[in-house]
Amino acid sequence: MTVAEAAGKIQGTVVAGAACAATREVRGGYASDLLSDTMGNGREGDLWVTMQKHVNIVAVAQLKSLAGIVVVNGRQPEEAAVARAEEEHIPIISTQLPAFDVAGILYSQGVRGRRSA
Amino acid sequence: MFVIDTHLHTCLSPCAVLDMHPAGLVDAAIRAGLDAVAVCDHNSAENVAAVARAGRAAGMAVIAGMEITTAEEAHILGLLPDIEAALALQAKIYSLLPGRNDERVFGPQVIANEHAEVLGFDEHLLSGATTLSVDRVVAAIHDVQGLAVASHVDRERNGIIGQLGMIPQGLALDALEISSRTTLPEGRAAFAPKGEFPLVCASDAHEPKDVGKAVTFLLLGEPTLDELRRAFADKDGRAILGGGRPMEDLALHILDLAQNSIEAGATAIEIDLLEYPSADRLIIEVHDNGRGMDGEILAKATDPFYTTRTTRKVGMGLSLLSEAARAAGGKIEIDSKPGVGSRVRATFQYHHFDRAPVGDIETTLMVLLVSHPDLDIRFKHCLESEAFELNANILRSSGANLASPDGLATLREAIRKGEAGLGRPSVSPRLHS
Repeated sequence: MTVAEAAGKIQGTVVAGAACAATREVRGGYASDLLSDTMGNGREGDLWVTMQKHVNIVAVAQLKSLAGIVVVNGRQPEEAAVARAEEEHIPIISTQLPAFDVAGILYSQGVRGRRSA
Repeated sequence: MFVIDTHLHTCLSPCAVLDMHPAGLVDAAIRAGLDAVAVCDHNSAENVAAVARAGRAAGMAVIAGMEITTAEEAHILGLLPDIEAALALQAKIYSLLPGRNDERVFGPQVIANEHAEVLGFDEHLLSGATTLSVDRVVAAIHDVQGLAVASHVDRERNGIIGQLGMIPQGLALDALEISSRTTLPEGRAAFAPKGEFPLVCASDAHEPKDVGKAVTFLLLGEPTLDELRRAFADKDGRAILGGGRPMEDLALHILDLAQNSIEAGATAIEIDLLEYPSADRLIIEVHDNGRGMDGEILAKATDPFYTTRTTRKVGMGLSLLSEAARAAGGKIEIDSKPGVGSRVRATFQYHHFDRAPVGDIETTLMVLLVSHPDLDIRFKHCLESEAFELNANILRSSGANLASPDGLATLREAIRKGEAGLGRPSVSPRLHS
C-alpha cells in the first residue's frame, strides 16, 4: 500500500509531499506523540501516526526515513511543517479520525507495528 | 527595579539563529532595555560562560541557565547560581540525553566565544529528550541549588500542561513562565488563579529581534539568582512586580509614557485609561508637569530613530505607541509646552482587530509606585460606567510605606480589588500552538 492509498483508507487528505505519497510504500506503522520515542523506535518505511503538528515531526521523519506522517484528530500541520515536508519530500496526511481508529484501520489493511509479527 | 528576560537561547540551540552568538545576544538585550538576562539553551550550557563574559564587558547582568527537556518532552528551565552549577547540571544531563545531532536535519549547535568566533559544534542531540521524568528534572535543578521554572506553560508543544495535561500535584516548581503569546492577566487566570505559583514573563527568543519581547519586572537588590529566589518567594522585600510584552501591551506603553515623564523631571503624573467598548473607543492619556518639549523636539517625538535618552534605547516608546494607535484606527496627539508639562493622548478603536490588548495594569502601577516613592501619581481606569481610581498620595497619607513588604502587599491588594471591580469578563484558559 502506498502512502496515498493509506490516506484514502483513513479518510485523510495529503497536505504535503503529494508526489512522493503516490509512490512511497508503507512498510509498517508506528503511533506515538513523543518525538523522542519515535526517534528511538520508529523504523524506516513506517507510517507515523501522531497528534503533533509542528515542524520537528518532519525532522524526525527525515532522520528515520519514515514513509510519512499522519496527523490525527483533524489537526492541521503548522505552515512551517508543511513547507519543510515539501522540501524534504515527506508526505503528511491530515485526518479527522482519532489515532485509535487510524491504527485500527491500517492494521486491518495489513500494516503492522512489529514487522516480524 | 530590574527588567529581566529569563529565557534566551544562543546559537548553541539548534533552532536558534547564528546571530544569537554570545555578544549578539547581549547586544540585543541592551537594545531591548533589559537589566539582566538568563541564558537557557536546550539541554546544554556550553555558551553560558561566553555570554557571561560578553555581559561583563557590556554591563549586562547574565544569569546561568538551561532549558531541559523531560522524558515527557516538557521543557523546564533551570535558573542556576553560577557557571559551576551549570556545568555540573550539564554533565548530568549529557549522561541522560541519548542520540547525536544531525545538523542537516535539526540545525547546527554552535559553540562560540564572546568575540563572535566559532569554537566548535556540540554533537549531543540537544533537540532530543532526556530520560528524566519531569519530577527528576526539577530535582536535578534543585540539586545544584537552581530554580525550576516550567517553560511557556501557555504553549501546547513542549509546555508542561500540553505534554502532561496538567501540572502534577506536588511538583516542586519555583515558578511558571508565560510566553509572549499570552497577557499576564490571562496567564494568572488560566494557570495560577489562586496564586499557586509565581509567574514570570519571558521571550524564549531564538533570534535577536525577539529578545525582550516578554519581560518580568522584579524588585531585587541585585540581579543574582539568590535575589531571584527571594523574589519568587516574595521574601525580604524582594518581589515580582509584574510582567508583560513591552512592544505590545498597552499597560506597558503607559508605563513607558510615565517613565518619559519622570525623565522629563515630572513630579506629578495623571494617567487615564478609558475603555468604552459600546462606543468602540479606547483612550490613553498621560499628563505630566515635566519639562515639556519645544516645537522641534515635539516634531521628532514620534520618529522611531529619535530619543532624548542616553541610557538606553527605549525612547522608541512614542513612535511605537503612535504606530499601535494608527494600526487600530486611532491616532496619537501630543500637547506640550516647555516648562509647563506634556499631555499625550492615544486613541484606539476598541474592537479593531489590530488593537493591542491592555495587558496588566497592576504591573504598570506596581513598577511606578514602588520605583518612585515620592511621585504624585493619579490613575483612573474606566470601563464603561465603572471606574477605578488610585491616588498615590492618599495611599501614602494613610500610612502605607510602599517600599516595605507590607506596603507591597497592600498596594497589590488595592490594585487587584480596584481592577476586579471594573467587572471585566473573565477569560478562558487556552493553550497556543
